[in-house]
Amino acid sequence: MGKVFISLVAAFVIIGAAIVFWATTGTSSLVLMPSELITKAQAKDLPRVRVGGRVVDPISYQTEPTMVLRFSVKDPKGSEQTVPVVYEGLKPDMFAAGRDVLIDGDFVAGTLRAAKLQTQCPSKYEPAAPGAVAEQK
Amino acid sequence: MSRQLRVLWQNRSKFRETSAVIEFGHFALALAWILALVGSLGGIWLGVRGRARLAHVELLRRMTIGVALCLGCSLVALGAAFVSNDYSVQYVWQYSNRDMPWIYKITAIWGGMDGSMLLWCFLVAAFAALVARASLAYPRPLAPALLGFLNTSPLFFTSVTLFFTNPFRYLKSAVAMPDGNGLNPLLQNEYMAIHPPMLYLGFTGLAIPYAFCMAALLSGQLSNDWIRLTRRWTLIGWTFLTAGIVLGGHWAYLELGWGGFWAWDPVENASFLPWLTATAFLHSVMVQERKGMLKLWNIFLVTLTYALTVFGTFLTRSGIVQSVHAFASTDIGWMFLVYLAAIFLVAAGLVVLRRRDLSPERTIESVFSREAVFLLNNLVLLSVCFAVLWGVMFPVFSEAFTGQKQTVGIPFFNAVNVPLFLLLVFLMGVGPSIAWKRSSLSQMVRTFAGPFVGALVVAVALVWAGITEFYPVLAYALSFFALMTLLGELQRGLGAQAAATKAAALSPMNAAALFRRQRTKYGAHLIHFGVLVMTVAITASMAHKVEREFTLATGEKFSIGRFQLELQEFHDEELKNYDSVQAHVALRSSQNGELLEVMAPEMRFYRKNKETTTEVALRMGQREDVYLVLAGIDESGTRASFKIFINPLQVWLWYGAIIMVLGGFVVALPLPRQGAVSVSEHGRSAQPA
Repeated sequence: MGKVFISLVAAFVIIGAAIVFWATTGTSSLVLMPSELITKAQAKDLPRVRVGGRVVDPISYQTEPTMVLRFSVKDPKGSEQTVPVVYEGLKPDMFAAGRDVLIDGDFVAGTLRAAKLQTQCPSKYEPAAPGAVAEQK
Repeated sequence: MSRQLRVLWQNRSKFRETSAVIEFGHFALALAWILALVGSLGGIWLGVRGRARLAHVELLRRMTIGVALCLGCSLVALGAAFVSNDYSVQYVWQYSNRDMPWIYKITAIWGGMDGSMLLWCFLVAAFAALVARASLAYPRPLAPALLGFLNTSPLFFTSVTLFFTNPFRYLKSAVAMPDGNGLNPLLQNEYMAIHPPMLYLGFTGLAIPYAFCMAALLSGQLSNDWIRLTRRWTLIGWTFLTAGIVLGGHWAYLELGWGGFWAWDPVENASFLPWLTATAFLHSVMVQERKGMLKLWNIFLVTLTYALTVFGTFLTRSGIVQSVHAFASTDIGWMFLVYLAAIFLVAAGLVVLRRRDLSPERTIESVFSREAVFLLNNLVLLSVCFAVLWGVMFPVFSEAFTGQKQTVGIPFFNAVNVPLFLLLVFLMGVGPSIAWKRSSLSQMVRTFAGPFVGALVVAVALVWAGITEFYPVLAYALSFFALMTLLGELQRGLGAQAAATKAAALSPMNAAALFRRQRTKYGAHLIHFGVLVMTVAITASMAHKVEREFTLATGEKFSIGRFQLELQEFHDEELKNYDSVQAHVALRSSQNGELLEVMAPEMRFYRKNKETTTEVALRMGQREDVYLVLAGIDESGTRASFKIFINPLQVWLWYGAIIMVLGGFVVALPLPRQGAVSVSEHGRSAQPA
């Protein structure tokens, strides 16, 4: 190994690690289920969270004067505790009760204020087969 | 005996219900698995022994081609089940229904996990078969090992498909299903026909370099032959992967209604990771070919690239990270982990075995040399790869080390990757023009002073014009710098060609002759030009995007930038698969009122799935895209809400991608005849044919 090679690699590893560390600490968010969010927040505000949950009714979508989507989410499995969500923006395609969503935002005054709302990509649903478990050939 | 017959008689109705086509598809899949198993074990065993007869190679070659043929039959059988509405098959029931147009019944083959795995198997086997066709011409010690390793990837994926995600399972239902569940509405789109296959072609194509690399290590055939062949196959995989990634971005842009094309989602990132390492390899392999350096590094890159394609599949199917693209969580993740470990262990073992043959023939003498710039380019690409991988896996790492799952989003990826990409653009300008070994100061001034001054002028002009954000100004200036050095290279090439042939430097004949003579070099420049076009387009569309929300009653107007929109009417229609409402919006120039287009953003209600989707209305322009989404219609049916995006230079992103893909094929094709080497019965390799 030449000196140039080793110096270049070493410099990159050090600078790269520093940049990644700085960017991570400045931008990371907690990943929580709705029930975990309620427990974790303990009625306090919790900035920068990502919540993965299942949409439950009622859903309200107002388009005037600005687009505001209001709904609640619960854990996809288990707890029935719900977290109210407000999202100011366009309702994503396929958004409906029963659909799993990912929400990035801040938990403020008991409400999750979503900055980003994504519904599960449609290609990845596995529709349940009718009847019992399908026969494995 | 009589008891067995009685059982058969009792189950006769079940046998009547089985489909011959499905049975055939399942049988072909099982046969492919057996052939891949024998081909893989046999090839590697012969590779370890170090000698093989021509008959052995021929047998392995036929087996490898046989795997592809069997998997092709299997795929056709599944397609036939879809087209014939055979809802006795669970997978067909899950992803299709009678009302779907036949083209979507075909694309539904890869609409879910089981079928997509089968498609993956077929494509990787088809690539292996293409390589195998020419395998008799490869050096005898290399050929059996190559065929063995070529079969390992089909073997693994066929094992997963056959034993865990079999698309030929029958539906266990008491009654025959008259209709299927239907394909998700968003997947009933023409992009479904091309984006996943293109992406899979990219992923599976990158399995070939790994096979070449491992076979070369096992057989000790570490001359430049394997590296040249590997480069060509990497380019083919890279080109398909580029096309697949961009098509995915274009589909998201047209379909999802958020006005963007890339969201740094874990699964998007998973397709990007092998692209980065393959790009790094395509540069560092030139250093090995020319200077005999970076041999170990290149093996690492080839192995990492292949491992990352497998990792991408693992990521979407294991449920370890939350992604809107991830498949439903399955229990096949462990198999991928075992296979990933095997990929690295085999590579590490063979590297240790051949460590003496992998010593570099030279060292890098100066930072101001092409090899040093290529190494820097590799380090930047690997840094991006590491940062993206870190971002993807951060939830897993954070949970393991702190007990609390955390994630990073778009701000993290932009903060880390934007400066690294701009550094890459700079290196793209420097790399092709700097001398090998060592470049003198006077040479560098002569080559780069003009482009540097030009870039500076561009930066000052942009600031003077009101663009003051740091990164956009830097991106435009660096793109200009790289473009100037690229044009400088072309000018020097044309001048040299003209001097040799006495033709006019700028004549088309001279340019064509130069291009023919140095197709690889100028194909690569074409790719770089495409990257520059994309860089400018991405910068413009991200930095200068405008988005607004507004509501209009029929006859009302809304102005934005140099456009005015007027809601004219609503148009309802009932189609076979869905109900549609379109808002007809006249798009006019706000300066002279000229009608530019009647846009028709749409909302669709799919009756079968009871799901609503929006269809974007898009006016693509050279200056900007007007991107209009119908957000909702009020209860009276006379007022509608819209979201509009004005995306500057967006179309140039797609043009840039097309240029890149064209450049990729220019460099990669024709297929590797020049790398083929003749071989005698005694297995001595000869010169490239």
